[in-house]
Amino acid sequence: MRRASTRLALMSAAAMVVTGCSSEPEVEPAQAGSGEDTIELAEFPDRPYWGDTHLHTDNSVDAFGFGTRLGPEAALRFARGEEVTATTGAQTQLARPLDFLVIADHSDALGATRRLYDAPRWYVDWVIGDETVLRWYDMMHESPEQSTRAIGELITAAAEDNVPEAFADPEAAAEGTKDIWNTQLSILDRYNEPGVFTALAGYEWTAMPNGNNLHRVVMFRDGSDKTRQTVPFPGLQTTAFQLWEYMKAYEEETGGRVLAIPHNPNLSNGLMFQMTMEDGSPMTPEYAAMRAWAEPVVEATQIKGDSETHPFLSPNDEMAGFGVQGWDFGNLSLSEKTEPSMYAGSYTRSALLRGLTLEAQMGVNPYAFGMIGATDSHTSLATGDEDNFWGKHTGNEQSYTDRAAVAQNLGTREGRFGWHYLAGGYAAAWARGNTRAEIFDAFARREVYATTGPRMTVRVFGGFDFSDSDWDGDWVREGYSRGVPMGGELVADGKAPSFMISALKDPDGANLDRVQVIKGWLDASGEMQERVYDVVWSDMDTRPRSGGSVPAVGDTVNRDDATYTNEIGAAELRTVWTDPDYQVGQRPFYYVRVLEIPTPRWTLFDAVRFGVTLSEEAMADAVAQERAYTSPIWLTSGS
Amino acid sequence: MNLPGWTREPLVHFVALGAILFVALTWGGSPPDPSSRVIKVGASEKEKIAESFALTMGRSPTDAELDQAIDAFVREEVLYREALRLGLDEGDAIVRRRLVSKMDLSASLAAETAEPSDAVLRAFLEDNAERYSGQGAERARVSFDQAFFAREAGARAALGSAEASGEATSLPASIEAANMREVGAQFGFQFSQALAALEPAEDWQGPIQSSFGWHLVRLRDRNVPPPDFESLRGVLANDWRSDQIRQRKERAYDTLRSAYRIDIDR
Repeated sequence: MRRASTRLALMSAAAMVVTGCSSEPEVEPAQAGSGEDTIELAEFPDRPYWGDTHLHTDNSVDAFGFGTRLGPEAALRFARGEEVTATTGAQTQLARPLDFLVIADHSDALGATRRLYDAPRWYVDWVIGDETVLRWYDMMHESPEQSTRAIGELITAAAEDNVPEAFADPEAAAEGTKDIWNTQLSILDRYNEPGVFTALAGYEWTAMPNGNNLHRVVMFRDGSDKTRQTVPFPGLQTTAFQLWEYMKAYEEETGGRVLAIPHNPNLSNGLMFQMTMEDGSPMTPEYAAMRAWAEPVVEATQIKGDSETHPFLSPNDEMAGFGVQGWDFGNLSLSEKTEPSMYAGSYTRSALLRGLTLEAQMGVNPYAFGMIGATDSHTSLATGDEDNFWGKHTGNEQSYTDRAAVAQNLGTREGRFGWHYLAGGYAAAWARGNTRAEIFDAFARREVYATTGPRMTVRVFGGFDFSDSDWDGDWVREGYSRGVPMGGELVADGKAPSFMISALKDPDGANLDRVQVIKGWLDASGEMQERVYDVVWSDMDTRPRSGGSVPAVGDTVNRDDATYTNEIGAAELRTVWTDPDYQVGQRPFYYVRVLEIPTPRWTLFDAVRFGVTLSEEAMADAVAQERAYTSPIWLTSGS
Repeated sequence: MNLPGWTREPLVHFVALGAILFVALTWGGSPPDPSSRVIKVGASEKEKIAESFALTMGRSPTDAELDQAIDAFVREEVLYREALRLGLDEGDAIVRRRLVSKMDLSASLAAETAEPSDAVLRAFLEDNAERYSGQGAERARVSFDQAFFAREAGARAALGSAEASGEATSLPASIEAANMREVGAQFGFQFSQALAALEPAEDWQGPIQSSFGWHLVRLRDRNVPPPDFESLRGVLANDWRSDQIRQRKERAYDTLRSAYRIDIDR
């Protein structure tokens, strides 16, 4: 078995010589590094830069098997706004390009499906000699549908820790991995253009014990001079703590910077944000500090559902439950059902609360993270827009017109269907310019926010003396000088904190319904509490609070042609809000949630474009209020 | 250039050469002679198989392992030749697809890593001037002030006054040297298109509409850089490379196709 996997690696080495990949084109020095001192920077972060930190290309073991034949270069060209031919043949382009991109291919078996696919059958049969691998090989060559099924089985096998060694042995695959990694780093440098577009190096660490999703995207600040000194860290059979140690070692050896972004905690069955360490023992301050250092940001929303909160956890939050349906009854591989008792470890709001509890116990908060959105697209096409959904993977690109109805079971018979997928989110980073260093640093200081796709501009400053008159002047400068931006920490001084909150609609999208502040804190007895405040909304004069809540904004979506109008809602909402319930001694976190008016989801666009009839269930979910989640601001004791 | 150690391995050279030979033979249209029933595994072949083993395993094979590898090699060769003899490669959709993609790949291999000279890229820029004049417009840097009004009437009323002061908004009041893509990202398509139609002037102009409302604009400066070689070099090299790959595939196909007479019944 072991020999088989090493030979897969050898084949890639031979292929490398044939393709001559070892000679790399040179790029300008400014493109190859971290981008420091390459462009003039604004005094303060001046606008949100939009990007996707979670895109898979044909180097990902599953993406290739699902049919994707577009590589990193096509992915970068597409993200930069150029027209690209999708794997299934259609011309595709982003109406609005992205500012940055992290290609995050699975580190495990990087490129292995392609190597397998490209291998002659005799080789798979006689040299690898693994019946399962041979069967997958035949399925991959039989038809796209069979290939998708084969990869479903592969993911299930990974979840059951039962992957044939041809795929799983990291040492054996190391050579192939290094070749692909180095080639990718060169391509990233070529497309990285300070001030115009940022291409960051990264990969996905894909641990999923028993099918429970513990995946992280690993993202580097540095150019290829440093990133060439490492290789992607394998996810199978390693722990998160080992990943963090790998990251520490990378920083110590290269002087570079790296961070990890957990994603899909909603599919972790409570394991992503445990009260204990990974092995179940009580959490130590050292462990908590390591996690806080390594993981400043969590991906709160993406194609495979939204992880902000669950209605079970937040029964008083009438807007909870976006992107939960279909994802909340089992783990990633559906090998284990999800019990409600697991939810608290699976969603970001409850994790932020758990962080407060753990901090009270140990003095360190392991879960003081910011939030972003991402696509997790496996098509090489980073699209988060509802009207331009290219599918989770090539097996459900737009040429599969019934994709909303099709079961997406990853090898099981449980009921997850195409329509449960979201179109994916984006990350917004408040940076002083568009370089690797500036974008990375925004993530590191958590000055980032998540959206479920639309590009609304959301700005938050927390302080103790903001007032409405601050809007009249240079409020951004005031925000930075008298307070902290999203992701920051405010040292408590016995007063209720106040927040300058500004939300502009997506300039080419839907109006805004409302802006909410989510507060989480420990009460006097140490119990975790949360509360949602509606702080500003459209038409406040004609839509007053009634019975303690703000009435629904309305719904202009025409179900027959997937259109809406901006006759309701507001183009801009802003306010200065002071916590009316603050009590001295509280150490809460506050984050902002911005809701758009209802708009069509991708499923409704599909129904109209392709003349498909959605099931009753899918139709009920075909219109939604897209949203943004900012990183929190924490009130700390400052010690 | 710093090549990894394995690139100096004779076996790797052998495999590479074999692959190149295969490609060359395929190009030449003369498949290996399936009629030969002699398969020679001499000392040098054995040595190579053993080296292959050592390269991947980090140790020499045992005699048994070597025999096993040789058996696999022989078995494959026998079956391969017999398959060709029986014509099993013909009419097999997978074989066809594999061969076609190999041909395409081999035609474009060199381009993927080629490093074009400045002269080549300058010529490329000249040949594709139109494509990059758009780039120029996209890279045009504008500096302007804007005053926001929820309604058109308010904007028109303010147009007469010397210093337009708009209504409260979080949209930036001034933009310095931003390209049109950035303007679009902050103010939307409608606004950036309308702005592109204005000429720089000292006076307030407009109102122009965005999805936020109405704006008076003082367009202080528009700097449209000519398609400047230096600033475009990286883009040019990337585009040149994708063009080359496409062209080489087409050229290779045209060359091959020209040797065919194709009769299509109409």
